[in-house]
Amino acid sequence: MGLELISNLMNVFTAEDPMPFEHPDGDPWADFREGMRIEWKMDFTYKHVLGKYSKFFIELTNHKFLATECPGCGKVWAVPRPLCADCLTITKWKELPGTGTLHSFSVSEFVPSFMKVEVPYVLALVKMDGADTLFTHQLRNYGDSTDAVKTGMSVKVAYATEPVAHPMLLMHFEPV
Amino acid sequence: MEILDKKRRVFVLGGGISKFAAEREDGSMRDWINEAVLEALEDSGTKVQDIEHSTTSYFSDHFDKQLKAGAIFHDNIGMCPKPNVRVEGGGGTGGLAIRNAYAYIMSGLCDSMVVFGSENMGRQVPSDVAQQFIALASDTDWEVQVAGFYIAYYAIMMVTHMEQYGTKEEQFAMVSVKNHRNAMYNPKSHYPMDITIDDVLKSKMITYPYKKLDCSLLSDGAASLIFATEDWAKKNCSTWEKKPTIELTGTGCGTDFMRMADRPHPYPGVTHFRGKRTAAEQAYPMAGIKNPLEDFDCFEVHDAYSGAELVSYEDLGFCKEGESGKLMEKGVFNVGGELPTNTSGGLMGFGHPVGATGVAQGVEVLRQLRQEADPGRQVELNSKRGGMDSHGGTGTFCALNIFERRD
Repeated sequence: MGLELISNLMNVFTAEDPMPFEHPDGDPWADFREGMRIEWKMDFTYKHVLGKYSKFFIELTNHKFLATECPGCGKVWAVPRPLCADCLTITKWKELPGTGTLHSFSVSEFVPSFMKVEVPYVLALVKMDGADTLFTHQLRNYGDSTDAVKTGMSVKVAYATEPVAHPMLLMHFEPV
Repeated sequence: MEILDKKRRVFVLGGGISKFAAEREDGSMRDWINEAVLEALEDSGTKVQDIEHSTTSYFSDHFDKQLKAGAIFHDNIGMCPKPNVRVEGGGGTGGLAIRNAYAYIMSGLCDSMVVFGSENMGRQVPSDVAQQFIALASDTDWEVQVAGFYIAYYAIMMVTHMEQYGTKEEQFAMVSVKNHRNAMYNPKSHYPMDITIDDVLKSKMITYPYKKLDCSLLSDGAASLIFATEDWAKKNCSTWEKKPTIELTGTGCGTDFMRMADRPHPYPGVTHFRGKRTAAEQAYPMAGIKNPLEDFDCFEVHDAYSGAELVSYEDLGFCKEGESGKLMEKGVFNVGGELPTNTSGGLMGFGHPVGATGVAQGVEVLRQLRQEADPGRQVELNSKRGGMDSHGGTGTFCALNIFERRD
């Protein structure tokens, strides 16, 4: 039967010496140039636990935007973290109004296909009112042209109305 | 920081590179590492039986589907039962691995170290799966869902730099032209090209301001460097005092928040690589660097994107914040200029098999200081010092190493 015995065989081939210029006396690996390509399938589903900041995502479903505030130094982290990195005090949840200012953004004409979004895709870094650090998310509904998107413009959190594939997608930003 | 034994010094005995290419279907990481190490052994005139320790440098377990790959590399090259350790820091892995050699040798744990690094960058999976694997190096809970592709973050960094300092697309297009051209004189490179600024500006826009020709590559390949003390070299290195003596004189490392959104303002804000400044502040005094533009003959920069190379110049202290574009226009960083950078071709021209990249850029500095490089990219030696930097993420891990020729 020969090679047909290998159910996941894709093809056999002969590889070339990638560095012939280094081998004036001939290919030192000449004996090992037969190649075989096989199909190797992997399929994973994780049962992923979001960290101690899971409450952020839960409250997005209640149309609330939470941040974490440090009782030690007062810093408010817009992307929540249970431990303040500046002073190592355990933080507390703080509800923010959900408004902010566009600090910077990028416009992508192409996105990897695992992201189920349309292009142009605007990634926004927003200075949230009431927080000291920025928050990263997509900016949508800015009109017909990305020319309308300008740093310094006022934006707000908008919440999902349809089921989403991941809790991070329960919100996005829109111009005010 | 304190150097306990000032008489103990670390020398770079040799290096090797297994060709960088889009896909090396002639094998996998374990094969390319064999090639790179064999070349490094020949280049240094050393035998693996005499080398006491190895450092493994690779980034992702996903592409080659092999955990603990260092065990395979180490045993394949005949190093068992001697010690091995793996270093990882995203794109910073290679630079961190060189730093690791310095630390282990200076501590006295070993007198000799072979560093080997490689990466298989995923041509074996569809391109969007490869993108998804790389995305796992950003924050998987907070960033991957909203932008699981690094260029979107790097583009934000460049947009803010352009707004703040007036940096122009043409200026970083020049970086792409330089690096692709330098790669033409590097036979091990992945993407040598003779292109113009116009070619770069007209290439496909991916995320403003970055177009296809502003981007680094996904490459397969490997690289190796061998380090040792003088006493070990005298006994075991047949090229010692026959080839120029190159010493590893400085090393530094810095980090920054994983997520750009968490970083402090005004510096680095979402514009600069704070970890590079930290790394430079450590490495430069060690190596006696006071004015990098004058004190280095060459420098290999981690050009994840053309604009990132310009910004890196500023954080590495080659110029003040905002001035990198103008200096690029003046030709300061071209071969023949004041401080030629990425003579290897960098990540855009030479290639980027992540775990190999920083090690390969160390090999380039070695070749330059020994004056062994192809004449089309060989620099003039004045200070006889060269440097390299590697970074991971958007500056999450930054490593910087300095070599100096002693004769």
